[in-house]
Amino acid sequence: MRSFFVSKLLLGQIIATLVFIAPTQGLSQAPNPQASANSSSQAGDEQLKSLSLEQLGNIEVTTVSKEPEALWKTPAAIFVITQQDIQRSGVTTIPEALRLAPGVEVARISGDQWAIGIRGFGSRLSRSVLVLIDGRIVYSPLTAGVYWEVQDYILEDIDRIEVIRGPGGTIWGPNAVNGVINIITKSSKNTQGGLASAGAGNIEQGFGEVRYGGSYGQKLTYRIYGKAFARAPEFHPSNISPYDAWQGGQAGFRLDWTGGSRDSYTLSGDGYYQSFGESVGTSSYNPPANYTLNGQAPLSGGNILWHWQRKLSEQKDFQLNAYYDQTSRHELNFGDVRNTVNVDGQYRFPLPRQEITTGLGLYASHGDEEQIFTGLEFRPPQRTDQIYSAFLQDEIAVVPNRLSLFAGSKFLKTNYTGLLLEPSVRLLYTPTATQTWWAAFTQAVRTPADVERDFYLASLVGFSPTGLPFFARFNANTNFQSERLNGYEAGYRRLLGQKFYLDLAAFYNQYRNLLSEDITGPISLETDPAPPHLLLPAEFGNGLKATSSGGEVAGEYRPTDFWRLRAWYSFLELHVEKAPGSLDIGSAPQIQGSSPQNEVLLQTGFDLPRSITADFDARFVGTLGAIKIPSYWTGDVILGYNLTKQVRLTVVGQDLFQPRHYEFVYDPDGPVGIERSLFGKLTFRWE
Amino acid sequence: MSLRRLTNRVCSRSIGARVLRLSVAAAWLLLTLPWFTICAAGQGPKASESEVEAVYVFKFSQFVNWPAQTAASSSLDICVLGDDPIAPFLDKTVHGENVNGRSVLSRHIVRVQDAQGCSILYISRSEASRLPQVLAAVKAWPLLTVSEIPDFVDKGGMIEFVLQSGRVRFEVNLAPASRAGLTFSSELLKVAVLVKGNEQQGSR
Repeated sequence: MRSFFVSKLLLGQIIATLVFIAPTQGLSQAPNPQASANSSSQAGDEQLKSLSLEQLGNIEVTTVSKEPEALWKTPAAIFVITQQDIQRSGVTTIPEALRLAPGVEVARISGDQWAIGIRGFGSRLSRSVLVLIDGRIVYSPLTAGVYWEVQDYILEDIDRIEVIRGPGGTIWGPNAVNGVINIITKSSKNTQGGLASAGAGNIEQGFGEVRYGGSYGQKLTYRIYGKAFARAPEFHPSNISPYDAWQGGQAGFRLDWTGGSRDSYTLSGDGYYQSFGESVGTSSYNPPANYTLNGQAPLSGGNILWHWQRKLSEQKDFQLNAYYDQTSRHELNFGDVRNTVNVDGQYRFPLPRQEITTGLGLYASHGDEEQIFTGLEFRPPQRTDQIYSAFLQDEIAVVPNRLSLFAGSKFLKTNYTGLLLEPSVRLLYTPTATQTWWAAFTQAVRTPADVERDFYLASLVGFSPTGLPFFARFNANTNFQSERLNGYEAGYRRLLGQKFYLDLAAFYNQYRNLLSEDITGPISLETDPAPPHLLLPAEFGNGLKATSSGGEVAGEYRPTDFWRLRAWYSFLELHVEKAPGSLDIGSAPQIQGSSPQNEVLLQTGFDLPRSITADFDARFVGTLGAIKIPSYWTGDVILGYNLTKQVRLTVVGQDLFQPRHYEFVYDPDGPVGIERSLFGKLTFRWE
Repeated sequence: MSLRRLTNRVCSRSIGARVLRLSVAAAWLLLTLPWFTICAAGQGPKASESEVEAVYVFKFSQFVNWPAQTAASSSLDICVLGDDPIAPFLDKTVHGENVNGRSVLSRHIVRVQDAQGCSILYISRSEASRLPQVLAAVKAWPLLTVSEIPDFVDKGGMIEFVLQSGRVRFEVNLAPASRAGLTFSSELLKVAVLVKGNEQQGSR
């Protein structure tokens, strides 16, 4: 577990939205003359009491939130997407599961691409968000972003996804500027037995997965899994070929074992292969032309990860993580083959009235960039990106159990930077058992990526009157600096009675040195590469700055134990502008107008008899003015039913409000219509 | 027409007569739901975790042997230390029950000193930060300690509830139990998912 703050949440099954199941007799407000009602709940009880110990261990239970204390004690805007949330939302991919968290923009670009951001700056590359899967960093130092299409797992085996809006504070790893997304899979101890599922629909052409979990003796448990899917393209106008078909498969394993009473170990690995449909642009000098390439790109990768945790005492523990990760992307306009190794350790120990957490990490990623067209090139074509990071955090109990102060800093150095400091100070105030206030100030840094320092991207603008080709080109900026953030945040959490939970967060962010598109000189004649051509030079500079402010309100209400209502609203006011003296050509409005100002999610779910579940979700995303995407409401319906004790049928309708709607524009061919979709799935479980 | 009369009219046609118990605030929202939801609402789909644990705790009293002097007392007290949703379920489960001629009673206690006469002590999650002190205070008394607190059996507890694949199971540590003079029936040990602290396994 990388995250310091959320390590406290690891106790038991923590969920952000608190669920308290009121005992059945507590629900009755009006006098109840019907004796049968009371006896029905007693009958249920008598039934349980008549079971043997073994039979009791086979009853499936609805889990209740525990330890509200741990969530109260997190001085950050955190939202936990639980396994139950994932199941009941009918999503088939991790990016879609992220829609459940407030403050996260998830715009579907096409059938296989998403533009994701937290509190603004949503883009295909999801820059400035640190994403981890079981402690493995999945960001690419090539783009300082995340390729979401290859982040996949058997969704039933994900324990939870923790989404922290705002700078991660002293959670280490690069890019923790706008948020941190921590995907945590279940221990193999909790995925025992078999699971097989298959489904199909109009857009989800077919998908299936199998997982088997077992154990050896008392101390070792394991699981192995495989999954495959095929997805149809979304809507394109008739003159565009439907390029975003998508197929892939992934398989993996996980082993968990304990040594003595203090040590626990995990070994896991995954491998995947995808045929990824995309539309990309590129250009060449000879012949001088621009190209739009539509087709399937092979993407593959794998990883192996080892984790060791030793508990020295209740407040003292130590963990070590090591992993190797390989990815190959053979896109239509370039290739990237990357080998990454990472070792990191974390140590937590108490001092009088304090708890210190400290850690150290070494990360190295070697990339081989393959050039396919002369207009897109990385120079040098091979580079090893290194990140050295450390952090130190002190949690001080100023007034025990009431007021805590967290102070610390992250220390970061990459092959592109000197030593960078990312300090953070947070306060947590818990006046009563049912409410918490928190506030934080953090400085965060987004370090340069290969795409700013090594990258040459040319585009043919036209031809001069004399027939000379005229190109514009982003040249590598060997002086590209880190982007910086000063983040001010605060929040409040409240439990009202046992049925209503409210979570508020507000923020004010100041950014500087943001990526800008600068014209660096006049148009001149260039003879190399041949043929001679006119060139307008540009580069990625640090010429933009921005401020953003806003907040999120999230609430959950459980009027009865079979009915749940949830809603959240996010507000974002983003202003991006040129810094004084900047040579930017005017990219600020594009960035500013690519994030919605308002987002809403409404959910209601029912647990009916005979294991029937019904969920209805509706969401609203505001206008993206700069890319001319109108605001929209859409919704999903998810119905589940047990055909037999072991087989469950799920029917999911997604994006139902319109036959198609548009969420983002990224591909050179214009926006892709996201279609109404329907699919059914059968899940078979056995022990 | 009140909501209750309306639902009675509709639901009495279907299986049994059940009355929907709802707070007034939620009533108007439910009018938009299909009727089957309202009629079926009384049943509930699965057991809650706390309900199953309460039944387990009651059943443990039938599979544990206490030393002679405790076994002679007139009541078998199951005490809940701290705040936990298990408490009302435990009250309901043990109501009117007898085990080996002793009536089973459930009690809620706030201070660990009050656990002295208890036969079973359920330690709530709210006591997690004080666990070492609680276990130290009760270790001389012949009582069975049960909890959901993670790693309870590693810290000196006797029975720990664990969730596996959505089902409630338990782990047992025999060492503190034998120090307190308690023995477990083999039927209980057979069902436990983990048994620690017996001679073959060596040290903890």
